[in-house]
Amino acid sequence: MTPRRLLLGALLVSWLTGCVNATVDQMVFNSPTEGMGDASVVILGRRHASDYETEPGFISCVGKHIGARDPAIRVIDELEFLNALYPWFEPRTAPLRPADLEKLFAHRDVVEKFATLQTRYMIWIDGSTVRGDSAGSMTCGIGPGGAGCFGFGTWSDDASYEATIWDFTQRAEVGRISATASGQSYMPAVVLPIPIIAPVQGTACDSVGDQLLDFLSTAN
Amino acid sequence: MEAPLSGSMTTAPERWLTALLLTCLLAGCGTKQVVVQSEFPDPVMNPLPLTLGIWYDDDFANHEFFDEASGRAESSWLVNTGQAQVELWQTLLKGMFRDVVFMNGKPGPGQMNPVVDAVLLPAVDELQYAIPSHTNVKVYEIWMRYRFQLVTTGGEPIAEWTMPAYGKTPTAFMQSDEGAVRLAAIVALRDAGAHFATTFTRVPQVEAWLNSLPRAGATPVQP
Repeated sequence: MTPRRLLLGALLVSWLTGCVNATVDQMVFNSPTEGMGDASVVILGRRHASDYETEPGFISCVGKHIGARDPAIRVIDELEFLNALYPWFEPRTAPLRPADLEKLFAHRDVVEKFATLQTRYMIWIDGSTVRGDSAGSMTCGIGPGGAGCFGFGTWSDDASYEATIWDFTQRAEVGRISATASGQSYMPAVVLPIPIIAPVQGTACDSVGDQLLDFLSTAN
Repeated sequence: MEAPLSGSMTTAPERWLTALLLTCLLAGCGTKQVVVQSEFPDPVMNPLPLTLGIWYDDDFANHEFFDEASGRAESSWLVNTGQAQVELWQTLLKGMFRDVVFMNGKPGPGQMNPVVDAVLLPAVDELQYAIPSHTNVKVYEIWMRYRFQLVTTGGEPIAEWTMPAYGKTPTAFMQSDEGAVRLAAIVALRDAGAHFATTFTRVPQVEAWLNSLPRAGATPVQP
């Protein structure tokens, strides 16, 4: 009976996720022509905007997605890279254009660090997931006999991310990927609230990760 | 006549429930305290060929910021950055200069101190914070303004300048206000280190002083 119950639970959970629409655009300027060998990739979040910040969790998600699908690609952890090259990749000092790398490579210590890390591709991800319109109401109460909620709530989430790929050997931008995803989540409540969450950020992460994997696997 | 609800009349689960409710209600009224603690990375840079002295006064080494709640619905905030400040500047300056020496006392006439090229006295002039409930923007922010004095061991001024630092962190699922403010403060401290490391030699008074030194004047130092 236990496996059947687990299966039923899994089916219920998969059924209880909201719908998500995702769109991906990819532009590759210079397709990779040779293998990556022992080279590594680093994925970094852009954090220059004043009203939003690319979530560290999203960067980690894309890195894990690539690493899980193709273990041959070595993805350097974002914080590990930022610490290894402090203070040159902080929001205030990070290069904004591939041309800025020349200025950075004027520092001998930075060049040595890059050589140690064997970083070939640097992928900048800029964007965020925002909560859109919400509607509905829910009331919850608690008394000596118990507690419960009644009502209905719904909200939308929109994710928009752009990944820019820089090639260190060419000191140039070699590709650009953008992904948008939107979804509607629902929460009906009759005594117990039942969240039906649309995995908007997760879908955007998978979309960006798949496209990057496509690019990097060609290089591999 | 019905007896009033008293301690003797309530059952143990009801007492616990009442206590829990009271705790929940009172949680929003207390002071939110944040002690910023972190380790900071060594800077990747060619050290300046100087022996720098450092003196932290008590206000800096124990720096804390207190913001009293303006209404009953808000919380007071106490953000203690002193320990993290000392950790950051010790790590950063040791990587930026050939030698770093901690002074025995504040530089001044008659104060016995080790011989150094100059002494740096950092201070936090101002600290401000913003949380989503203040701004309706889903980021927690910390802004700081530092004041630096570069003096001789005798206390004579060489340079004095101010420097801003900014850090922010996005809202995240299951993250408390305190945790987010702590993260934003760490980002602000890293930003302070990055700003200082990349602009120190470009501060006009510092640049003039470096060029006046015999060894630095021959080969201008770059961060």
